[in-house]
Amino acid sequence: MSPRSPFSALRWLIALLVLGGMLFLLVERAPEQSIPEPVEVPTEALVVTDTASEVFGEPLPALQSLEELDLDTPPARRGLDLQHWQTSQGTPVYYMHADELPMLDVQILFAAGASRDGELPGLAGFTNAMLNEGTGNLDAGDIAAGFERLGAQFSNSAHRDMGLLGLRTLTASDKLEPALSLFAQILAKPSFPEASLQRIREQMLAGLRYARQRPDSQASEALWSTLYPGHPYGIPPDGTQESINAITREDLQRFQQTYYNASNAVIALVGAVDRQRAEQLAQHLADAMPQGDAAPRTPAPEPVSASTQHIDFASNQTHLLIAQQGISRDDPDYAALYLGNQILGGGGFGSRLVHEIREQRGLAYSPRSTFSAMQAPGPFYISIQTRADQAEQALDVANQVLDEFIRSGPTDTELSRAKQQMLGEFPLSTASNGAIVSQLGAIGFYDLPLNYMQLFLDRVQALTSEDIRDAFARQLPADRRVIITVGPPQPEPEQDSSDTESDSAAQTTESEDA
Amino acid sequence: MLPLRYLLLLLPLLTPLAHAESRQPTHSYTLDNGLKVIIREDHRAPVVVSQVWYKVGGVDEPPGQTGLSHALEHMMFKGSEHLEPGQASHLLSSLGASENAMTSRDYTAYYQMLSRDQLPVALELEAERMHLLTLPEDEFIKEIEVIKEERRMRVDDNPNGLAYERFLAQAYTANPYRQPVIGWMHDIERMSIEDLRAWYKQHYVPGNAVLVIVGDVYPETVKPLVERYFGAVPAGAKPVVRTPLELSAPGERSMTLHLDLQLPTLLMGFNVPSLNTASEAWEVHALRLLGAVLDGGYSARLPSHLERGQAIATSVGTGYDAFTRGDSLFVFSGIPNEARNIDLPQLEEAIWQEIDELKQNPPSEDELARVQAQVVAGLVYAQDSIMAQANRIGELEVVGLSWELVDEDTAALQAITPEQISEVARRYLVRDRLTRSYNLPLAEEAQP
Repeated sequence: MSPRSPFSALRWLIALLVLGGMLFLLVERAPEQSIPEPVEVPTEALVVTDTASEVFGEPLPALQSLEELDLDTPPARRGLDLQHWQTSQGTPVYYMHADELPMLDVQILFAAGASRDGELPGLAGFTNAMLNEGTGNLDAGDIAAGFERLGAQFSNSAHRDMGLLGLRTLTASDKLEPALSLFAQILAKPSFPEASLQRIREQMLAGLRYARQRPDSQASEALWSTLYPGHPYGIPPDGTQESINAITREDLQRFQQTYYNASNAVIALVGAVDRQRAEQLAQHLADAMPQGDAAPRTPAPEPVSASTQHIDFASNQTHLLIAQQGISRDDPDYAALYLGNQILGGGGFGSRLVHEIREQRGLAYSPRSTFSAMQAPGPFYISIQTRADQAEQALDVANQVLDEFIRSGPTDTELSRAKQQMLGEFPLSTASNGAIVSQLGAIGFYDLPLNYMQLFLDRVQALTSEDIRDAFARQLPADRRVIITVGPPQPEPEQDSSDTESDSAAQTTESEDA
Repeated sequence: MLPLRYLLLLLPLLTPLAHAESRQPTHSYTLDNGLKVIIREDHRAPVVVSQVWYKVGGVDEPPGQTGLSHALEHMMFKGSEHLEPGQASHLLSSLGASENAMTSRDYTAYYQMLSRDQLPVALELEAERMHLLTLPEDEFIKEIEVIKEERRMRVDDNPNGLAYERFLAQAYTANPYRQPVIGWMHDIERMSIEDLRAWYKQHYVPGNAVLVIVGDVYPETVKPLVERYFGAVPAGAKPVVRTPLELSAPGERSMTLHLDLQLPTLLMGFNVPSLNTASEAWEVHALRLLGAVLDGGYSARLPSHLERGQAIATSVGTGYDAFTRGDSLFVFSGIPNEARNIDLPQLEEAIWQEIDELKQNPPSEDELARVQAQVVAGLVYAQDSIMAQANRIGELEVVGLSWELVDEDTAALQAITPEQISEVARRYLVRDRLTRSYNLPLAEEAQP
């Protein structure tokens, strides 16, 4: 359910079609779990358990390897010398030197997501897709050929909070310098050529149509519009037919000037360039960007009360979502909710939802729960796809699992297991330059401390079962729970439960906009 | 980050090259019971990937029993002699390891990525289920329902997935590549646990598998571990692995599907050899470069001429997997730009023009230089991921090619002349080898 522009969705579709032979036929047993959120660098004193069975809290299989495993020592990790400074314009830069491979990853994150669309839904995605369509007297083909003949890879994407530009290049100077120079030109003077404008518009409109054939897109759209009425997160990032047709070249230029500026950017760099060179490169990129102001922080949404809705769709399965507003990325409850969600349904096999829905009952292939922590409180949701006649049963089970978790929190066994899991995941989540640059970008964009990964893991390891139960109970009150189903018409019409419009008293989060 | 993933996906022909310069020491040997082992050292981070690849996939399944390999893959997580159903996954996730499995037409593979100190756990678990799988019937009865949900999600409720399944059923005429890996629903419905027990017994033996380990390890310490856990697996009878072969001129096939689509899509597939089946390897490398000239980046011909330029296509691309066990397909797919009243026959015509142009005129030096630059850079980028490295080694070995090909790949591609690219277009992109599918929204009719 990650936000994306229809443009990229369409490219993704064609990639799937083209590579069907590899993708469609590679039937994975479970959908790829996304890379875990930044977890922390373990400190020596963290792990105090002695034996495997204490860690896992259950009878263990008779495995030699397990008996010999040293669980007293945290797993070894890659040394991470994270550094931070600002360019002369004040653009924050996050950097790590990694010289094992002669390559550099650059990621620039702008507060230029769909939440800034205003009256023109799709404007952020449209602008982002136009950035590499022309600069100075270069057209889209010149730009693409420019990167490709250097072996450099340019990337761009737009989401609800942010617009991203990325570059992966070799660091040999005959590659690095021209690649960065071209990248800087895109930042400096995108030309929004008329021919591209019309083509991208057509592709976005096609993308909107494509979304109509996907039940998951329908469900996602309903989720955001229901949870965020009148809020920037309720804006459909792919736009509407009317808005996409209405967007003009001036709108795009204005959006680019307003949001793709040096004061509204975070630069992350990981690769084989030393600190001095990295400072020069970052300064060069910031110099290329327009000057301007940082975008204001996205406000917290008004609470939304419980409701149920069904969208008719000609499919075999019903897609169901249990959703409500969750938390922002800097919420003090973030660690408790993150860890708790791993146990509830975010951690794949072993989590309660997967156990109850898939393993015990065979109802669905990939049930899961997610906290999408964003600049303003993003959604919490449980998603399940199941044969239509089982939808009600799946919904009941999922609601019971959630209610029980909110009522009682995790068991001690689940808690120690989840903590161990996060210690073990850390080395994996920082194994590649690509993973690190993304983490650095997120730290910068959400204005987290440089040692955030450390702090986060410290917090996680200190959590108690009661901390998690308490956080879930406060953040997920049952009278705000929204149910969305997309699938064949339901046998008995659902009672419209939107009569529970009583004002829910207090703000659920104490965290936001402190 | 979708565009980046897209970019990587659209360069499939480049990925094999990614490891051409094996700077990391790589060790290859075979255990007494026949298990092939490949260990590649990569000491950048203290993590390791362990993968077991079995030479069994959808292509090995007899008619009426499609989906066996995939169902068995699911059941591999449902317990073995010392492990309850789901217990191994539970254990691995407790350690923070990531694991998964995949089934393709040619193979079934299982992997774990974990901290280097935990490698023995992964090896022991994997060795145990290589020969001591329980296959309990009560678990099968639940899991087969999960598989049906998986099929509904991936195929039956996904009109593009459905279209591709139908397309493959036509594009291969003389071998089982036409069968869906996940299985036809009617075959899934009549599958029994006995079928899976027989399938397991027949195919899951060390001599039919490859173990790939990539990461922060040294052979001195890993080899004894491998011997300790996998050495104990009995050799068993090695199954015959057959190469799926296609007719050289099956004849032009055409189909029209009306599906719950919003956008019409075109699929055109040409029956072509793979590196395994080509009588001359250069043909395959030339086909890969042909794909790159057409679609190896946003500056390649199809995006330049058909998406931009004339704006005939909303989206268009090619795909060719040269590293399959048997004969392969060279596929074009596209969505016509309806905003400019382009229909499927017009898009097809435009693609033919691009093909004919290449048949007559070899690509330019400049185009090939761009492709080569991406290839060389791709070598470096792919080393950022130990998973990608392990996948490449495994994908080659499991279809009977040597992992060492990665070291020779750059040279093989650089040896191809522009004229050879035109030559393979003339030989293989011909109507006798074509399967064309027009996939239309329900309400629309195909234009003649």
